[in-house]
Amino acid sequence: MISPAVFTHVVKKLPLGICILDTDFTIRYFNDFFISRLTLNAPAIGSNILDLFPEQARFLKKKLTSAVVLNNSSFSYWEHRPHIFQFNSSRPITGEETLMYQNLEIVPLDIEDDQVKTLCLILQDVTEQASYLQSQKQLAAQLETQYHEQAALLKQLKTTQAQLLHADKMASIGQLAAGMAHEINNPLGFINSNLQSLNDYLNTLVKALTFSEKLIQKTEDSALHRLQQDYFSRAKITFITEDAPELLHESLDGIRRVSRIIQNLKIFSHVDDTHWQLCDLRDIIDSTLTMLSNDLRHNVTLHIEYADDLPLLQCQPIQLNQVLLHILNNAVQAISQKGDIWIQVTVQAEQLHVTIRDNGCGIAPAVLPKVFEPFFTTKAVGQGSGLGLSMAYNVIKQHQGHISLSSEQGQGTTITLDLPLQPKLPVADVDRLTHER
Amino acid sequence: MNALLSEAQRDALQELMNISMGQAANALARLIETRITLSIPRIVAATPSEFAALLSQHEENWFTRQSFMGKVNGEALTQLTKEGCEALAVAMDYDVPLSDASRKELVLELANILAGACLTGFSEQLDLATKLSMPTLYVPTVNSGEQVVEYFRWTSTLLLEVEFSVDASLFDSKVIICLEQRSVQTLLASINELLE
Repeated sequence: MISPAVFTHVVKKLPLGICILDTDFTIRYFNDFFISRLTLNAPAIGSNILDLFPEQARFLKKKLTSAVVLNNSSFSYWEHRPHIFQFNSSRPITGEETLMYQNLEIVPLDIEDDQVKTLCLILQDVTEQASYLQSQKQLAAQLETQYHEQAALLKQLKTTQAQLLHADKMASIGQLAAGMAHEINNPLGFINSNLQSLNDYLNTLVKALTFSEKLIQKTEDSALHRLQQDYFSRAKITFITEDAPELLHESLDGIRRVSRIIQNLKIFSHVDDTHWQLCDLRDIIDSTLTMLSNDLRHNVTLHIEYADDLPLLQCQPIQLNQVLLHILNNAVQAISQKGDIWIQVTVQAEQLHVTIRDNGCGIAPAVLPKVFEPFFTTKAVGQGSGLGLSMAYNVIKQHQGHISLSSEQGQGTTITLDLPLQPKLPVADVDRLTHER
Repeated sequence: MNALLSEAQRDALQELMNISMGQAANALARLIETRITLSIPRIVAATPSEFAALLSQHEENWFTRQSFMGKVNGEALTQLTKEGCEALAVAMDYDVPLSDASRKELVLELANILAGACLTGFSEQLDLATKLSMPTLYVPTVNSGEQVVEYFRWTSTLLLEVEFSVDASLFDSKVIICLEQRSVQTLLASINELLE
């Protein structure tokens, strides 16, 4: 039989905090675990535990009362309440934590007639487990963040790949267009000059015919005169002399149109051109509109308003062409049935103020903040590169200008450009410009 | 359906549960100074699939579990509606709004009080001293289906189910005392003694 003294000794030495309390929370017993960690002047036995730990009095009172009233153990877990008693960490040298992590259990000890008479408070040092679990949690959170970052990156990569493919396709088309423009330009040149010559020749021929007709009339030889009349009437010479110049005129006009298209094709296939020069913005807008004329013809009514005496603008015309093309293209695509596009250019304080407004579908508010982001597009993959407006933004920045967009869903979109007439050019460009002059 | 229990045994257990749960509800009502309504305890033998079905509503509910050991062993599961717990925070002397940690603390405290009251009542009536351990939050991962049978190591268990609700609040909870298979025999022996 083991004597009660042995049990007392065991409890004293337990690696758990043991504290026995009355139902009025007076401390009856503390084991060594508590005693060695408490820095008290007055003896703890006999004092009220709520006075001894005033910071935790509210919590302790609640838990102790619950155990007394319900005759049921109550618990506290370190994750919710890590340091009930402000004891120093059990790992003062190697541990990162400064305070001990604790689990607490309050057990009704002596019960008489269903009434709790004493309570036992059991405190467990769980610093080791808590530290471990916390570092695991940190690690898990870190891994999760990394996982999400990688997933986002992967998605971005896939989009970028699709966009690059699209950009590549566009570059190929550009190259093809440049090649075609070059190839068509040569025959176009000689067709044009031949037609001009042919026009001259025709004029001469018509004159010669009129002359010969007059000559025959002067001879007063009626037989000859009749022969000539008969021949002219059978060969429909009168009609031919009237119609031929018209045909030639039409053909020359056609050639001029083809030349202009080829010229634009050449311009747009040289999108890398960053040449600075003084330009009339109206010309740039007009050439862009020519490029889009096919799309504009069917369902869009254009309203163009230029201020009188627009000054010349120091700019990269090819780049501005591209900007306008993207903006106008978006405007055209926003109009599904019939609509209007308004283009207005005014001068305000040494700046050209350009407004391009459409009454198309507009942009959803959620999308609005992203429109200038590179690779952002609402068009289907392969339909738009998502580079149009971001490129426009960069070009306008290079011109030390400002681009802004406002839109209302279902009402339309307005883009405004402010372009300083004389932007400060980068040094390299200034050198080139003076050299060229 | 209650193959584990005879009709007489079930009636006796039912009567005992009625008394002990009444005491539990009274104690709880005194602690939080609120009127508490409780259902008639349900005593049922359950297969793993039936058991898993009880745990299926873990979107709207918190689940906690705590084991008990002594003359009878098993686990006490407590299901508490998520909305309802918040409603009791002030009565339980918690600072509102609840932080994440204090919300969990509250859930565990409520679960411990309810499960403790049920188990104490039940074990005292039958003189089957048993001790409840610390509660932890439980996120059931098994849903009903074929894998349920393989997931659990037992084929049949006895469930003692009681529902608590607090008048004029959304609080609604259910304590399920699940007895280990061998403990069911111990329980039956105790009931038989009472019946003799």
